[in-house]
Amino acid sequence: MNIPFDQFLIQTINGIVTGMILAMVASGLTLIFGIMDVVNFAHGELFMLGAYVGVLTLAATGNFWIALIAATLAIAVLGAVIYLTTLRPLIGRDPLTTILATFGVSLVLQNYALWQFGPVARKIEEPITGHFSLFYLEYPYYRLAIAVLAVAIIGGLWLFLKHGTYGIWIRATTQDRVMAQAMGIPVPWVLTAVFAIGAGMAAASGVLFGPLVGVNSQMGTSWVLRAFIVVVVGGMGSISGSIAAAIFISLLEAYASLWVSPAQAVIVSFVVLILTLLFRPTGLFVPTPK
Amino acid sequence: MSVAEAAPAAPSVAPTVEGEPLLRVAGIHTYYGKSHILDGVSLTVGRAEIVGLLGRNGVGKSTTLKAIAGIVHPRSGAIAFDGQPVAGLAPHTVARLGIAYVPEERRIFPYLTVLENLRTGLDRRGVSKARKAALLDKAYAYFPRLAERRAQFGGTLSGGEQQMLAIARAMMLEPKVILLDEPTEGLMPSMVSQIAQIVGALSREGVAVLLVEQNVPLTLEACRRVYFIEKGVVRHHALAAELSLDHSAIHQYLGV
Ligand SMILES: Nc1ncnc2c1ncn2[C@@H]1O[C@H](COP(=O)(O)OP(=O)(O)OP(=O)(O)O)[C@@H](O)[C@H]1O
Ligand SMILES: [Mg+2]
Repeated sequence: MNIPFDQFLIQTINGIVTGMILAMVASGLTLIFGIMDVVNFAHGELFMLGAYVGVLTLAATGNFWIALIAATLAIAVLGAVIYLTTLRPLIGRDPLTTILATFGVSLVLQNYALWQFGPVARKIEEPITGHFSLFYLEYPYYRLAIAVLAVAIIGGLWLFLKHGTYGIWIRATTQDRVMAQAMGIPVPWVLTAVFAIGAGMAAASGVLFGPLVGVNSQMGTSWVLRAFIVVVVGGMGSISGSIAAAIFISLLEAYASLWVSPAQAVIVSFVVLILTLLFRPTGLFVPTPK
Repeated sequence: MSVAEAAPAAPSVAPTVEGEPLLRVAGIHTYYGKSHILDGVSLTVGRAEIVGLLGRNGVGKSTTLKAIAGIVHPRSGAIAFDGQPVAGLAPHTVARLGIAYVPEERRIFPYLTVLENLRTGLDRRGVSKARKAALLDKAYAYFPRLAERRAQFGGTLSGGEQQMLAIARAMMLEPKVILLDEPTEGLMPSMVSQIAQIVGALSREGVAVLLVEQNVPLTLEACRRVYFIEKGVVRHHALAAELSLDHSAIHQYLGV
């Protein structure tokens, strides 16, 4: 079967756009996993609640960018509260307890959203409404803006981690928590801040993605599932690995949907996950372990 | 002939430096789960004093240092530092008060560069830019090898270089005491004497050192006083100069 070049190009752009959103969700997840060995099952709900805060702030202010910032900050604070109340007391316990705890938090948040906002999806208006012609399509500029913003946010995270005192604190704590603390680094604060950063990034992704799909209480579930796949395929705890895996998997899904329906194309990511676990369980996008 | 026979589980006697010692550990008990590791350890370290802690493998030397650093919390007993109780404080609080810890395993951050490893201790509030530069210069003057490798990942350093970095990193905290756990383990002889010189230099600058070692001659040469620990209890305590003349305590507690 011959795939026309225009369709191929469109799917490449689509794959990169979703890949960047996925990379934002997954890098928060992997940052949290790397530093505290916690698999945050409530991450998708932070994405969803971020989108809802975006909806509310947008309704109140009429400004998408204010909504984006407000949602990021509000959910970062919520993340810090969840960390302090639910996860910090479990430090040093069996990892299973943190899985159950975050899973419990995700159920609470999801049902809270359903109760508070109802089952009907809310809409976030695109802040940029222009289109440009791409072959036979009118392609929205907003989708490109999402990709650019996601690159900017992930790049900002990278710069933050790479340079400056707090980045050193976070990386030192990730590499050896006890020694970091013995060097005077306030590790309890670092862990809380990292959880807040991951939560804020999930919320920002939710607001950015909201205009494409509509906001409802279930919207986090499919994203967090794909983000988990990305985190495993990228190598648990590796941010650059997660970014590469997010784009890789999103492109594969986008190309697969040239042949099959998008719902079936999702299978591709599971195939990649299984192959990774079978043949390279440390992750596709990390250096070969010695 | 000893300065004092420390009675087991009793607070240490005879702070051999004038006045209240910098660090006083009094009868601490620690447990790992149910196993009772420290059974009432007591010792003191004076200002700028170098004190040795000797004992056979597994008697609790490292655990004593971890307890002082706040990494292991004693279930009973007291630790006073600079006149302030510190037992039970979080390790980062203890470190900021001026107790630096150099663990037996060195525990260099493998994916931080040498400079970033140093900055983990250097980037504190209230340290001016000029002061930071001066501290780094001092560390690089002590260990020129670290200056050459400042942009290299800590994990790529040799064992000896990692030990230098571990000590230099501790110095970044501008501590009043450094807890040094077997710094010469696995090092070649020239490095061993370099470590001994560094310990002496620290003391001359006013930094006290609590030194755990297997190397007895080095300990006797570097330290002013030495404690012997056996099964979680300090059994004996003497001036290094006396131990150099009379090896009986060393035979008794170390079996060498
Ligand atoms: N994390 C731990 N969990 C359980 N037991 C431990 C732990 N760390 C140390 N121990 C035990 O505590 C005892 C004292 O250990 P410690 O490391 O203090 O000994 P040490 O005197 O430093 O020995 P070495 O000379 O071999 O370094 C040992 O019996 C050791 O097996
Ligand atoms: Mg030891």
